[in-house]
Amino acid sequence: MSKTIFSTWRDEFVDNRYLSGNTCQVSSFKLPRDYSVDKKSKAFIGWDGVAIFDEDVDVVRLACEYAAQYQKYSEACGRCAPGRWGGRILYDLLDKIARGEGSQADIEHLKEVSETMMITSKCEIGRTTPKPILDLIEHYREEFDILIEKQIPSKDYTNEDINYIAKVTAPCMDMCPAHVDIPAYIEGVRDMQFDKSLQSTRQTMPLAHTCGRVCPHPCEDACRRANLDEPISIMELKRIGADFETDHSLPWQHPKEPQPFRNDGKKVAIIGAGPAGLTAAYYLALEGIKVDIFEELPVLGGEVAVGVPEYRMPIEKYNKDIQLVTSMEAVDVYTNTRVDAAKLKELDSEYDATLLAFGTRLSKKVRAENERLDMEGYWGAIAMLDKVNLWHKYRIGSPVSEDLKDKVVVCVGGGFTSMDVVRCAVREGAKKVIMLYRRDEKTIIRNTTYEEYHEAVEEGVEFIFHSAVERIFDEDNKLKKLLINRFELVPSPQGGRAELVKIEGGDFEIECDYLIPAVSQSADLTLLPKEWDIELTSWGTLQTNGKDYMTSRPGLFAAGDCEYGPMTIVNAVGQAKRAASVISRYIYSGTISLNDDEIMEDHLRELNVYDKNEKITGWMQEQPREQSKKLSVAQRVDNNKEVNLGFSGEEALAEAQRCMRCYYISMAVV
Amino acid sequence: MYAMLLYIDGGGVVMVKKSDMAQYVNITIDGKNCIGKQGDTILQIARANDVYIPTLCYLSKVKPIASCRMCLVEIQGSEGVVLSCQERAVEGTVITTDSKMLYKHRQNIMKLFGVNHPLECGVCDKSGECDLQNKTLEFDVATQNFCAKESDKKVENWGFISYDPSLCIVCEKCVRICNEIVGESILEVAVGGYKSRIINTNKEADCSNCGECMAVCPVGALTNSEFKYSSNAWELERIPATCVHCSSGCPLYYEVKPSSTANREESIYRVTNPFEFSSLCGAGRFAYDFANKDAKKDKEAFTRALKAFEGAKSIRFSANITNEEALILQKLKEKKGYKLICDEARNYQKFLAAYSMVSGKSLYSGDLATLKDSDAIIIFGTRINDDNPMVKYHISMASKWHRARVAYLHPMEDVSMSKIVTQFIKYEVGSEEGVVALLANAFLSDLRLSDAVKEYLESLDVGNLSAESNVGEEELEGLVNSFEKKNTFSFVIGADLYAHPRAQEIAKVLALFEKYLDCNVILTPPASNALGVALICNLDDEDVNEQSIGYNVKGDFTLGSLGEVDLDMPALNQQEGTLTTIDKRVVATHVALPFGGYVLNDIANALGLETEYTIDYTKELPKRSGYKAVEFDTLNHEFSKEGNDIRGYLLETKDVKIDEIFEEIEELPAYDGGVVYWCNEGIHFTYNTLYKYPASKYLKGSKQFAVAMKISDGEELIFENEKRQYRRIFKLDETMKGTIAITSSVTEPLEVSSFKNYRYTLMKLQEDGVIR
Repeated sequence: MSKTIFSTWRDEFVDNRYLSGNTCQVSSFKLPRDYSVDKKSKAFIGWDGVAIFDEDVDVVRLACEYAAQYQKYSEACGRCAPGRWGGRILYDLLDKIARGEGSQADIEHLKEVSETMMITSKCEIGRTTPKPILDLIEHYREEFDILIEKQIPSKDYTNEDINYIAKVTAPCMDMCPAHVDIPAYIEGVRDMQFDKSLQSTRQTMPLAHTCGRVCPHPCEDACRRANLDEPISIMELKRIGADFETDHSLPWQHPKEPQPFRNDGKKVAIIGAGPAGLTAAYYLALEGIKVDIFEELPVLGGEVAVGVPEYRMPIEKYNKDIQLVTSMEAVDVYTNTRVDAAKLKELDSEYDATLLAFGTRLSKKVRAENERLDMEGYWGAIAMLDKVNLWHKYRIGSPVSEDLKDKVVVCVGGGFTSMDVVRCAVREGAKKVIMLYRRDEKTIIRNTTYEEYHEAVEEGVEFIFHSAVERIFDEDNKLKKLLINRFELVPSPQGGRAELVKIEGGDFEIECDYLIPAVSQSADLTLLPKEWDIELTSWGTLQTNGKDYMTSRPGLFAAGDCEYGPMTIVNAVGQAKRAASVISRYIYSGTISLNDDEIMEDHLRELNVYDKNEKITGWMQEQPREQSKKLSVAQRVDNNKEVNLGFSGEEALAEAQRCMRCYYISMAVV
Repeated sequence: MYAMLLYIDGGGVVMVKKSDMAQYVNITIDGKNCIGKQGDTILQIARANDVYIPTLCYLSKVKPIASCRMCLVEIQGSEGVVLSCQERAVEGTVITTDSKMLYKHRQNIMKLFGVNHPLECGVCDKSGECDLQNKTLEFDVATQNFCAKESDKKVENWGFISYDPSLCIVCEKCVRICNEIVGESILEVAVGGYKSRIINTNKEADCSNCGECMAVCPVGALTNSEFKYSSNAWELERIPATCVHCSSGCPLYYEVKPSSTANREESIYRVTNPFEFSSLCGAGRFAYDFANKDAKKDKEAFTRALKAFEGAKSIRFSANITNEEALILQKLKEKKGYKLICDEARNYQKFLAAYSMVSGKSLYSGDLATLKDSDAIIIFGTRINDDNPMVKYHISMASKWHRARVAYLHPMEDVSMSKIVTQFIKYEVGSEEGVVALLANAFLSDLRLSDAVKEYLESLDVGNLSAESNVGEEELEGLVNSFEKKNTFSFVIGADLYAHPRAQEIAKVLALFEKYLDCNVILTPPASNALGVALICNLDDEDVNEQSIGYNVKGDFTLGSLGEVDLDMPALNQQEGTLTTIDKRVVATHVALPFGGYVLNDIANALGLETEYTIDYTKELPKRSGYKAVEFDTLNHEFSKEGNDIRGYLLETKDVKIDEIFEEIEELPAYDGGVVYWCNEGIHFTYNTLYKYPASKYLKGSKQFAVAMKISDGEELIFENEKRQYRRIFKLDETMKGTIAITSSVTEPLEVSSFKNYRYTLMKLQEDGVIR
């Protein structure tokens, strides 16, 4: 790995140009010193500073190319005066110096225009682009001066072997597993061009209705607005564009004109029509590549369809997301088609690539004594939610109220699935619903969302924290009661994470009719042919390198929960989008590759774009986050009406107005 | 009780109760204590308090654009600067709007705006009223330090509008207006850094040609292609007036000056408007040249006119007249016993009366300001984009700002509304009485109602009505569900209903929405001053074939401003007087161009009424109808600083005796076969706009219509309506569906937009191939 010669990244100052050996300073950031396995970076420049890894780098051209990248970005924007013209002038002046025609007055003009850009630009990209350029002018002034003095071009001015690879990002985009262009879709709302907003979302996220409703929005933890007051309500703003398309019956708002169906014999099989499978199918089909999706259930949508309840994710809306995918000419779906080992072998030989996206649909046990799957009243969360959802959404099967009405239901969990279980149990008329959780309230909120927990409490779910089931009692194989242990958190003497210690004599019993374990799920791996000897993770999912999503078997890919373990929809979307991109090249070239954009994406994620300590200027504080309206408890508790009514128009516009458009440009020199 | 709080609203000072203080916000701007409403931006509060902050892209009537960055201000105790146009004020903030630092950045921004801006102010139309010019001078940009390589930019012509991208500063006002207010989203920013420009995505199909984009353009980029190079802005005299083409009564200025050095006769060069706060459609903006120019005082014709009046039994007239003229006609009726026949207003008058009988109020509740703030809207019985664009603009604003649910109930789909409408409900022609009953049943049946209403709703055979009208119960259920949780409910009613055979029954049921749901009901007046005429004149029903005077419609003796007339009369831009708008507001209009002939008041005086000027009647307008005894000259023509319409005065709504009698629904009529819908498409509401927006000579219909009527594309048809013969060429329109064809009612002067009878006419194919 090359060392850092110079760095001004995020207010650090490393300058090893005149130092040697062990007096050298090191950068404390995970800067992309190695661009890829076979390519080293010479320099990295971005919103937060500049780092030089190779002393031969032509810094004047570096500054000039960075300005050029801004200029390129600005050509995709150009929506404020300072950015539109400032960027052009910045580039023109730097290029003038780099080609050997500059003057000292140009440097002064550069500084002047930079200052106005940094204070007055509309988005962070205009405000931050001058920073590393000014850093270079300050610390490498002699290299600029010499070109001006001698009127000669910079040393690499015409060198075409050097690659300047740029990527635009934002803290929220970087944190989002699907890297959704969040500032763009928020800008679409702000501009009241809701169709454009949706097109922006769909660049990397086809499930706009879904992730505008049930995403745990990790992006909001990386929202710079939080440094000022409160994060933007990013997730709910996504829904505005999706609802606009649906409400006005618009034609599908694709992020780009779909490529004509290639019909060239190449085809991809996808196992599972959940978020991962649908996403991969959509992006492959956008490129015109043939996709066949095989789904075991009679319905499409995977866990979001049969797991996430109607009151959180109305099927009518999810179906819009699904129809977006199935409307593509290149996509065919086969429901009620379980893929077993024999079938998988068949697909593997018939198709040019196969993506496994079958999720994790086996409920794990709570690990109590006398825990038996065949005990009446013992009901895995996945099976229970399947039954609830198949009935309410598709009228398949029978109502769960026949099982749960006036019953006492205990759920063991702490994640989203367990919340769905208890809230559905309430709606199915259970007399009493108890959630047992090993840890505390704070953790359950962190694992789910504040809203989710709060709404469950409002609906009458009783939460018992620091508790676990020790033993299940039955009579004639019918579940009767549970023995519960209580725990307390004892701070670790080493100062690490507090430990759960059982409280002696704290045990108690709960008489109940149902125990629904919702502690976690695992992948059903029986479809993998033994002889393939597919590599697995230690937690029983398919092993990939987390970048190209190919399993240990060439041509066999995996994305979503079956790769990662039970995780979020947005995680599945992000993985599947990447996998689709890799597959789209693999089926033609037979090799696995990432494009520059993807490589940069991974580098930035490693570096972490969001800086929670950054001080924000240029915006008014105390502009509170908008809260959407929810149905009251009485209006929602006995039915499946969508609880969250979403933003009203004025709320959406006010919230979009809060977004600071924290776009940044980064660029690696290779 | 009352805090020391002076909130300035509409020019008045409001005392605020301490308990209501939370709705207000106190800030200090440049040392001045300012109070605004919670949620107001810093800029809004500054402007309301007369503090100047420079802007280039700010436009009061749309949401902040924030592209120019000129309005930046400093906040005490916080680093950097914030944009005053988009930041909401926070209690206690201390703001500086001007400092050396701010000046320098604003100056730099102006330098950037100046990069490559052509120095052609000498010939630019905008010179003298150009924001770029003003701000360049204000920030003392005498030299240009920056330059950049220019890109190739060509002038484009879009209908009446010319776009010069090299003059464009990409402030985006035009794009916003097109999307937010006009509701067309035809203009877009073609992003491209310094090459950014505005594109018209609908050049071929001709955009709605409202000229709103041109009106708000701060520079010379978007100009009126007819006005271009014809005058300097400062040479023109502005005559404040009111648009006379439809009932919205939008404010405008006729800008006049002498035609040339040789010809000192003034002509109208262009129309502008107070665009910060209000809008115009293309009719108002471009169709201003309808004056009756060369009329002289023709004594012989005048004598013939008086003779005709002496012998006449009735006066027939269009509702395209002022309130004062309407009053003159009413006075003549009282004096001479004429019957007053105004098809455009009579049905509306009866409709309003029936409505009042149930609502208990002399006027409908609704207005446009509430419409634009609605989040649930029903449009019923009107093709609103053609009937009244300003109503459509307000629905568009509601759609954009409040994500309004917009249900459009009509027998024909209207593609121009597709991005605004969320639910289209198609009903059968003639079934309106059934539809309104179904709506009432869906929305009201769960409420606490009077016995009469309850009985009416219970008597409905919902299944049958639904089947006959073709409005499904699940459609209505969807409609009601989508209106759940909405705050402001508007109901826009239009001209399809006023002349319906069952109009009064429909009106009564509609009134229930105002009465029980506190709905913002707008009974869109079907012609410019139909509301004024309806409130001022005692109109008559029967038009017996007796000797008649026609005023802007055909009579045995015809007075009028356009067309073949027996006595020339002034057009509405040659008169002063008042109009009564859709908002129930009485607004003034002034003389833009002189008129050389006689006016109605001259005739009235000759017939013995004896009032010197027409506007002497302004204070005489009937108080029983809600008018006030206000002198014409005291009527205000401006908006408030906050942008509220405070022109003229609002009619007073009177209490009316309630009489809830509902008739049983008549069997819904069936319109089997080809039907003609009379609709003046493309903003030519009246004969006054025809010279600019020629009426289509076509009868437009679908393939299905052509098959049903056994006609083909291009075939000439002759058919009758209300004893008049119409000649049209059939035009096959592939985008249309069903058996309703559309055609204009106004194709020449002296024709009216709205008829005595229902707006749909069943066409019958005759033996001889002529359609009746």
